[in-house]
This record gives sequence, structure tokens and C-alpha cells, in this order.
Amino acid sequence: MRTSATPRSLGWLLLPALLVLALFLGSVVLLFLNAFWTKDGVSLVYFRQIVERPDYHEVFLRTVSISVVVALASAVLAYPIAWLLWRLPRWRNLLLVVVLVPWLVSLVVRTYGWLVILGPKGFLNEALRWLGAIQSPLPLIFNDLGVVIGLTHVLMPFSVIATLSVLLQIDTRLEEASESLGASGLATWRRVVLPLSLPGVFTGIGITFLTSMGAIVTPILLGGIRQKMAGTQIYQEVVYNFNMNKASAWALCLLLLSGLGLMLLRALESALVPKADR
Amino acid sequence: MNAPLIKLGRAGSFALLFFLPAPILVIAATSFAAAGYLRFPPGELSLRWYLEAATDPRWVEAFLTSLGIAGIVAVLATAIAFTGTYAGHRLKPRWLPAFELVVMSPLFFPHAALGVALVNVLALTGHLGTAGGIVAAHVVVTLPFAWRPIAVAMARIDGEIMEAASLLGADERRLALGIALPLARSGLVTALLFTFIISFDEVTVTMFLTGPQVTTLPVQIYAFIQENASPVLAAISTATVVVTLVVVMLLERLIGLEFFVAHDPA
Repeated sequence: MRTSATPRSLGWLLLPALLVLALFLGSVVLLFLNAFWTKDGVSLVYFRQIVERPDYHEVFLRTVSISVVVALASAVLAYPIAWLLWRLPRWRNLLLVVVLVPWLVSLVVRTYGWLVILGPKGFLNEALRWLGAIQSPLPLIFNDLGVVIGLTHVLMPFSVIATLSVLLQIDTRLEEASESLGASGLATWRRVVLPLSLPGVFTGIGITFLTSMGAIVTPILLGGIRQKMAGTQIYQEVVYNFNMNKASAWALCLLLLSGLGLMLLRALESALVPKADR
Repeated sequence: MNAPLIKLGRAGSFALLFFLPAPILVIAATSFAAAGYLRFPPGELSLRWYLEAATDPRWVEAFLTSLGIAGIVAVLATAIAFTGTYAGHRLKPRWLPAFELVVMSPLFFPHAALGVALVNVLALTGHLGTAGGIVAAHVVVTLPFAWRPIAVAMARIDGEIMEAASLLGADERRLALGIALPLARSGLVTALLFTFIISFDEVTVTMFLTGPQVTTLPVQIYAFIQENASPVLAAISTATVVVTLVVVMLLERLIGLEFFVAHDPA
């Protein structure tokens, strides 16, 4: 809307937002400066320190593979929840609370919950021992399994929300048409609902992959000291080694890998989801 | 589809749904156990961990710091998003989509990378380990979450109302604060509550920025888990869950939760 005389002075109202953006963009510029700039000018020395370490290759590999597993697991596990909320419109608001509260509760608290459940003397091991199912506690945390369980749970609500928001856009007449033409409920889901909801599933995979790539708290608490991920490595460089140059180079490597992952996902989505559906 | 299969699918979906709050419920249960851990059969109940938390100045201070920071961040992010979206809505510059893309861009940063980036800039200005630095960082992180609901509410305002008010002699100040502000209030309330709770519960970026002078509740919980996993942590964690629950219920009462699953009209 443009009222007859829209004063240019309104532009000043953008200033606060510009300041916030300047802070953000400034921090990104410094990230590049710290990663590339040395006393002797532009150099790749900090990147070489990372690329030349075989143990770091393992860290990157673990970060990417855990993030892929977590993103796929949360997409698959979240789908039935989204479907349930979509099919129960009358209960949707109440059930949304059950999804949103765990999503918004601090992830350190949710991770702590998994520590209490999965730890060697945790809820699950004690329950299994009480039932006589096990003699010694199962190693459920301080390994990759613990990290995958924790991260998947932490990120699942994202996938539920992304999938549900697309399901809610589906024209219910499409379903009715499919069923009146004789398709079973399962066939309708497979051939009508699932293809239409795939864009939401892909959005969820993208967000959860990205968040998992940058996770720190859950990998440290549930993975232990040896199961390093890129985020934990970055945190260590900043907080214990005070090496901002190396940390910045790490962060740029992480950004690059995440960006590549998202681009690959986009390509996969274009291949799998017909254009008309998007 | 045959009925038993549907029932099975539904039961399975419900089981997955209640898997989401499971760790929170386990913590809440632990926080009331006198023994400090869950056992079989359950032992005596007690409020001793809550008492211990409430009488420990470290926890009280971190709790108040987090509430204060979250309150300031919510007001700042909402005000910045309101002025920004209002100017964007009125002026409609050609570069607005590009500008909004930059506003949203922190969302595409893995949090570990965003943390390092913000450490760089706050170390330069000398705000590392200060409440001001944490507030500034949280505004960067939460602005996208304030911007979206307000922009959506702003787009729904009937342009003719603004036109009429302008013709009847309302000045710019009146148009912004007397017309647009109340008409966009659903977006403003959503933004306030949403950014409050994100800031209150944020840990991954914040853990880079705290220092000996100031720390937030989630970061302190993290530090204590690593040092000594005392059952006091369960009581503190339950307190943060209650704060989160209250904010979500407020949002549900005042605005409704559809916003989270609604698609932008834009």
C-alpha cells in the first residue's frame, strides 16, 4: 500500500533492523578475516592445519554421517505424528502443545533427560535390570548411538511442524476423489497424500540436517569426549584453546559442508518431487 | 483401508507423539524423588531439590539473568521487527525481498558457526562475557522469528483503512502507532512470546558468550551436568520447562498455535 504521500523519512524505521544485520554481517566478515588473514597476508595456513589432520577427517565424516542419519530418522519418525495431527483436527491444538513444548524447552534440558534415561545407572538400564532382562548395563550413551538418539529426539519437532504445515495445505477433495474412485486408504496415502507432503518432509530434512551439523551440547553430553563432532571441536578451539583463527576456519568448513549438503538435498528434491507439486 | 490397520497406525503414531515429551517427564519425575534418582519401585516424594535450588544464589541469579535477558531481547526484537516490517510495508522498496532474505539468513547458519562468528565481533567490541553482548547476539538469533509473524500480520492489514486514516488527517506517528500497531497485534504478541522463549532456552550460541560475570540458566545447567550431575539439576530443569509451558499456553490462549503450522500468505 502506498498512501498518497509516503514520506521518505519512514526509511529511518529500517535503521534498527539494519544495525542488527550489520552486527550479523560484520561477524561473518570477521569469520572470513580470522580464517584467512595472517601476519603475512592472506593464507590458507589455518585450513591446512585442519585438512592435514587425519583425525579431523574422521570428525567431519562423523558429523556428516550422524547428521544424515539424524535428519532421515527424524523425518521418518515425525511423519506419523504429523499425519496424526492432520487427521485429528479437533485435537490438533492440544496435540500441538505436546509437540511445541518439547521443541521449545531448552535442548540442554532435553539432552539431560536422555542422560537420565540412557545412562549406565539410568532409568532404562535400571528398569531392564529390575525386570531381569540384563545383568550389566547396556552402553547406550558415550557413543554414536547416544548422540543419534538424543539429536533425533531434539530435532523431531522441527520435522513434525514442517511436514504438518504442508499436509494442512492439501485439498481434502483430492483424498475424497481418490477414495470415491476406489483407492484404498493406504493407496490414497501412498499415491496422493505422500507425494503432496514430500516438500514438507524435505524442508524438515534440511532444517534438521543443518541443526545437527552445528550441534554442540547434545554431542558433548551424550557422545562423551572421544566422539567429537565439528561443533564440539569448534567449541573446544574457542573456549579451551582460545584459537579464534582455527575456530573460524573450522566454522567456514562447517558452513561449506552444510551448504553442500543442502544443495544436494535440493537436487534430490527436484528429482523426486514433480514440479507441479511444489 | 481395513479398520484394524488404521487403529494400529493411530496407536503407533500416538506412541511416537508421546515419545517427544518423554525425557521431560522423566526429569520432572526425578525432581520430586527424595532419593534424587528414579528407582523401582518409586521411593519417597519430596520438594527438597526445589528448596535446595531456590536457596542457592547461583541458581537464583542465573534464573533471574535469563528471565531479564529474554524479556529485553523479546521487546527489542519485536520492536525492531515492527519498525522494519512497517517501513517495508509502507515504502515497498524494490530491494525489500533481498533485505528480508538477509534478515532470515542467520537461520541458515549452523549454530556452532554462528557462535564463533558472534564471538569474533563481540570480542572486537569488548562485549564478550557481558549481558549486553548476550542480548545483542540473541537479537540476531531471534529477529527472524519476530519478523515473520509481524510481516504476516502487517500484510493482512487492509490498505484502505490506512488510506482512510491518512485522509482524515492522521499523521505518520498516528498511522504507525494508532492504526498499524493495534491491527498487527496478533503478530506482535506471537513475536514477543516466541522470541522470549527462544532467548530464555537458547544454549548453543550463548555458551560461546558467557563469562565469569554473567551466565544464563541453560548454560549453567550445561556446566553443572559436566561437573556434578546433582538432582538439583532436575528441579532447575523442571522450572525451565514450566516457564516454557506457561509461555506456550499463553500463546495458545491469546493467539492460537496455528501460526506455527500455517504457511505464509506471502
